[in-house]
Amino acid sequence: MAGVDAFVRWRYRLVPDHIVGEILSKRWADNLIPFLFLLATILVFGANIRDFYTIGYLSDATRQLGEFLLVVIGMVIVMLGGGIDLSVGSTFALANIVTLIAMNVLGWPVWLALLATLVVNGMVGLMNGVLIGYLRMRAFLTTLVTLIMIRAVVDILLLKYSVPISGASVTSALWDYVGDGTLLGLPFSFVVALAIAAITHVFLSRSRPGWHVAAIGGSRRSAYNIGIPVRRTVCMTYVLSGMLCGIAGFLFAARLGGAGADTGVGLDLQALTAAVLGGNSLGGGRGSVAKGALGAVIVLIVINGLVRLGFQSGATSMVLGLILLMAVSIDVRWFKNRHKVLSKVYVSPMFFRLPPRPSTLPDSASPYALNDKLRDVEVIGLDRIEGPEDVILDRDDNLYCGSRHGDIVKFFGPDHQRSEIFAHIGGHPLGMAFDRAGHLQVCVGGMGLYAVSPAGEVRKMTDETNRSPRSIIDDARVRFADDVDIAPDGRIFFSEASIRYESQDWAVDGVECRPNGRVICYDPRNGTTRTVLRNIRLANGICMASDGQSLLLNETWACRVLRYWFDGPKAGKVEVVLDGLPGYPDNVNRASDGNYWLALVGMRTPVLDLALRKPGFRRRMARRIPMDEWLFPNINTGCIVKFDEQGNILDALWDLGGQNHPMITSMREHRGHLYIGGIYNNRIGKYRIPGADRNWTAQDHYWGPAR
Amino acid sequence: MMGPLRRTFDRFRGAGGAAITLPPMDGVILPNQAIEEAASVLAVEQPDNLVSDGRRILFSSGKAILAFDPAAETASADILATFDSEVTCLAADGEGNLAAGLNDGTILFATGPSQGRRLSDPGARPSCPTALHFDGEALIVCHGSRRNPPLAWKRDLMERNASGSLWRIDLATGTPTCLAQGLAFPYGVAPGPAASYAVAESWRHRIVAIARSGGGAAATLLDHLPGYPARLVPAKGDGHWLCVFAPRSRLVEFVLRERNFCADMFREVEPDYWIAPSLTSGRSFLEPLQGGAIKQLGILKPWAPSRSYGLLIRLDGDFHPIASFHSRADGRRHGVTSCLDRGDRVLVACKGGDTIVGLDTGAGGGQSA
Repeated sequence: MAGVDAFVRWRYRLVPDHIVGEILSKRWADNLIPFLFLLATILVFGANIRDFYTIGYLSDATRQLGEFLLVVIGMVIVMLGGGIDLSVGSTFALANIVTLIAMNVLGWPVWLALLATLVVNGMVGLMNGVLIGYLRMRAFLTTLVTLIMIRAVVDILLLKYSVPISGASVTSALWDYVGDGTLLGLPFSFVVALAIAAITHVFLSRSRPGWHVAAIGGSRRSAYNIGIPVRRTVCMTYVLSGMLCGIAGFLFAARLGGAGADTGVGLDLQALTAAVLGGNSLGGGRGSVAKGALGAVIVLIVINGLVRLGFQSGATSMVLGLILLMAVSIDVRWFKNRHKVLSKVYVSPMFFRLPPRPSTLPDSASPYALNDKLRDVEVIGLDRIEGPEDVILDRDDNLYCGSRHGDIVKFFGPDHQRSEIFAHIGGHPLGMAFDRAGHLQVCVGGMGLYAVSPAGEVRKMTDETNRSPRSIIDDARVRFADDVDIAPDGRIFFSEASIRYESQDWAVDGVECRPNGRVICYDPRNGTTRTVLRNIRLANGICMASDGQSLLLNETWACRVLRYWFDGPKAGKVEVVLDGLPGYPDNVNRASDGNYWLALVGMRTPVLDLALRKPGFRRRMARRIPMDEWLFPNINTGCIVKFDEQGNILDALWDLGGQNHPMITSMREHRGHLYIGGIYNNRIGKYRIPGADRNWTAQDHYWGPAR
Repeated sequence: MMGPLRRTFDRFRGAGGAAITLPPMDGVILPNQAIEEAASVLAVEQPDNLVSDGRRILFSSGKAILAFDPAAETASADILATFDSEVTCLAADGEGNLAAGLNDGTILFATGPSQGRRLSDPGARPSCPTALHFDGEALIVCHGSRRNPPLAWKRDLMERNASGSLWRIDLATGTPTCLAQGLAFPYGVAPGPAASYAVAESWRHRIVAIARSGGGAAATLLDHLPGYPARLVPAKGDGHWLCVFAPRSRLVEFVLRERNFCADMFREVEPDYWIAPSLTSGRSFLEPLQGGAIKQLGILKPWAPSRSYGLLIRLDGDFHPIASFHSRADGRRHGVTSCLDRGDRVLVACKGGDTIVGLDTGAGGGQSA
C-alpha cells in the first residue's frame, strides 16, 4: 500500500490539476478555442500552399487584413452592444466610390476626401443608429434594408461615375503612400488598422462609454435601470461601425483605385464570421477587439488559402458559411456550459496524509481527553450577534466582535449586557488585533486588512500584495484575509486562508486540501505589502511568539501549528511546533501564564483522514454529487487547547454535549476570563479560568501598561 | 461492443448507470415530524421487533426479550428472557408461542408451549435471521446474508452483497425449505397478494412478492424507495406498514461505487464512523459530516443530509404508499425497524432513537389527499 500511496502522492504533486479550473475561470479562456482554430488553420494551409510563409505572401495578406480588420472592429463594437450590422459590405463599397469621386473626379486633396468619406459613412451609420437605437427597430432587418438601399446608391453612382473615375489619374505622393507605402516594413493600411484596433481596445475595455456598450449588450434592461443612456449608446455603435467601414473603403480605394460592382460583396458574411469565430457573442455583452482580430486573421487565411488552392469563388462562400454555422453553435454551447464545467472541475483535491489521530476518550491518558469544563460557560449576546469569528477586548474591558452582517459590534464592559454597532465595514470581520495606538486591525473576508480607530472610523490598510509570476489566478488581490497580529515594530502580519476560495467556501478548501494559504506582511511605516510565506494548507490563526522575531501560525487542514521567523538569525525559517492535532486549529492567542490558547474549530473524522489520501475519490465526489452532500471536515464540535512554545499540551477545554457552545473558532484571555467566539454561532462564551491572573490583559502584555 | 464503451464513458461523465440519482421524498412521502412529535410510550435501549402475544407487547432489546402492558398507566418493561447473543427478530403465533432469531444464527422458541425448542443452530449457513413470520404450521424466516450476521448489516450493505434467502421451516418436522435465494438483505416478510409472501429487500430498496410454494421469479410490488426498508407489518384493515430504517443518500450511493475506498474504509475505520447509513447519527464528532449538516447559529436544519432518519410508510392493499410518518435530520427518533398496529394507534420502535412511540395515525401528517 505504501507504494501505491507514494505513487498517488507524486502523481498529485507533479500534475497541476488545479490549473484547468483556474484557466476556465479567466475571462480570456473564451479565446482559447478561436486561438486553437487559428493554429489549425495556419498548419493546414501552411502545409498545402507552397509560399505561405514567405514575406511576399504575408505582405499582401496584411494589406488586405488592414482593411478587413477595420470592418470587423466595427462589427465587434455593434455586436458587443447587442446588435448586428449587415450593411458593412455596402457601406464599404459606398466609401470606396465616394473617395474615388472626391479624388479622381473632383480632384480634392487626400484629407478632404477622407473627411468626405467619413461624413458620408457616418451619416449612413447614423441612419442605422437612429432607426435601431432611438426608434428601436430590429437590427437585423434594419441593416438588411440599409444593405440593399446603399448598394442601390452605389450602383447609381457607379453608372454615373465609373467612366470618369477610370479615366482620371491622380498624381499625389500621399495618395500613393496610403495605397502602397510601408511604415516600419508594414503596409500603411495595416499600421492604421493596428493603431485603430489599439485605440478601440482601450475604448472598449477602459473607458466609460466602452463599458456602457458592453453593459447594454449584457443586459439592456439592467443597463437602462442603472441610468446608462441606452439609445444614445446603441446609436453611437452604428455610427462608429459606419465610420470604420469608411476608413476601410478609403484605404481600399487608395490601394486599387478602381470601382466595380462587386466591391464589398460578401464582406458582411466575412466580417460576421470573423467576429463570431473570434468568440464575440452574438447575444452581445461578450467580446473584444482581440477576439475580432483573431477571427479576421482566420477568415482571411481561409479565403486566400482557398483561392490559392484553386477553389471556385462559390466554394469559398460555402466554406465560410459552414465555419460561421460551426462558430455560432460553439458560441452557444460554450456560453451555456462553461460555468457548469468550471463548477465541476474547479475543485482539484490533493493527496495528504495526516499523522495518526490522538485519542480524545474521557478516560484515556491523552492530553486531549474529553471533559465538560466549558459546560458552565456564561453566554454573552445570545441571539443578538451572528457569526463572531473573533473576539477582542480593549483596556476598558469593552468587548468587540465581528458579525456576518459586516459590522463590528461593541459590548460595553464590564458586564457586556449593552451593545452598539461600533463600525460597519461591509465584509465579514474575521481576525482582529489592537495596535500600539489602540486602533483595531481587522481582517475582513472578501475585502482585506482594515483599521478601525477608537472613534469608530474605518480605514483601508491594504488589499493588494505582490503578484506571483507563475500564478494563473490573480493572487495580488487579498480576498480572504483571516487572522492578524502585530510585531513589536508595528509591522502587521496577517494570514490569507486561501487564494483559490472566497471566505464562505472555506470548508471546500478543506475538501481540496491543497496548500493555497499564505502569510502577508503589511508595513505601515512605508505602506508596502509583501507575501512572506506561501503554500500553507489554510493559513489561519496568527500570534506573535515571545521572542518578538517569530510568529505562530495555524495550518488548519494540516492539523498543526507552525512557527515562522520573520527576523533575527533564523529569519525565513519555519518549524513545526504542534503536529498531529485531533482537530483543525483555527485561532491562536496568548495566555496570561506565557503559554498560548488554541481553538480547534472542528475535529478530525477517521473517514475524512482516509479520504485525504484518496484525491481521486474526492475529485469524483466533487463532480458527481452536490456540495451539500460532500464529505466535509466535522466543524460542528470544537474545543480549546493550551500549549507552550515547546509544543506541550497543557490543558484541554471541552463542552461535551456541544449544547452551550457548539462551535469554537477563537478565544481571548482578559482579566482572568476566556472569551470564546464561533464563526457560525449566535453567542459569545465567557469562561472563568481557574487560577488565572485577574489583572492580565493582552494590551498590557503586547504594548506595556497604559500611560 | 457498444455496451462496455458506453459504460466506460458513463463512468467518466457520471451519466447513465453511473449517475447518482435518488427518488425524492415527495408526494405521499413528503417529510413531516409525526414520529418526532408522537407521544413516547417507553424509553428503552435499542427496541426492536414489536410483537403482541394477545395480552402484552413483546419486543427485543439487546440480548433480552422484554414485555410491557400497553394499557398500563406507567409503562415499564419486564424481562421475559435473556440469551447469550443479541436478539434480532421475533414472531408470535397467537397461541403463546414466541419464536426468536439471534445474532449468532440460532432460531428458537423463547416462550410458550414449545419453549426451548431450537429450529436452527449457530454454525449452519445461512445464519442471519432478520425477520420471522408464522404461517400456519410453518415458520417463514428471512436470512439477510450468507456472509454477515444480522447486526453486521452495515458491512453487508457496503460490501454490496445479495446473498440473502427466504426459508420455510416446517414446524412439525423441522425441515427447512428454501423459497428464494439471491435476495439483497431481506429484512421483513408478511403475507402478500395471491398466495405469496411480500418480502422487503433492503439493499434493493423494494418489496418483492415470492410464491409461497417457492420457485418462480420474484415480482416487484414496490420499487424506488427513498430509504432501506425493514419490517413489513400487516395493518388493521387492509394493507401494510413498512418500516424504513435508514435513508438513502447520494454520498452513500457514491461511496458504494468506490470499491477501493470501501476496502480501505473497512480496514481502517470503525463501522460506527463509516460513510454508511446508520440507525442513529450525530452522537460523536468522529462520525462523517456532510456539507449541508454544518450547524448554522446553533441549528441543524431538518433537511440537512443525514445518515439516519425515522420513516414509517402506510401501504394500501396493492402496496402503494398512502401515508408516511417521519422524524427528520434534526430529530432523534431514527432507525425505525418495526411497528405494531393496535387499531387506535401504531406503536413504533425507533431502534436508533432508543424509544417506542405511540403514533396517533388518525391525526398523523402525511395522509394522502
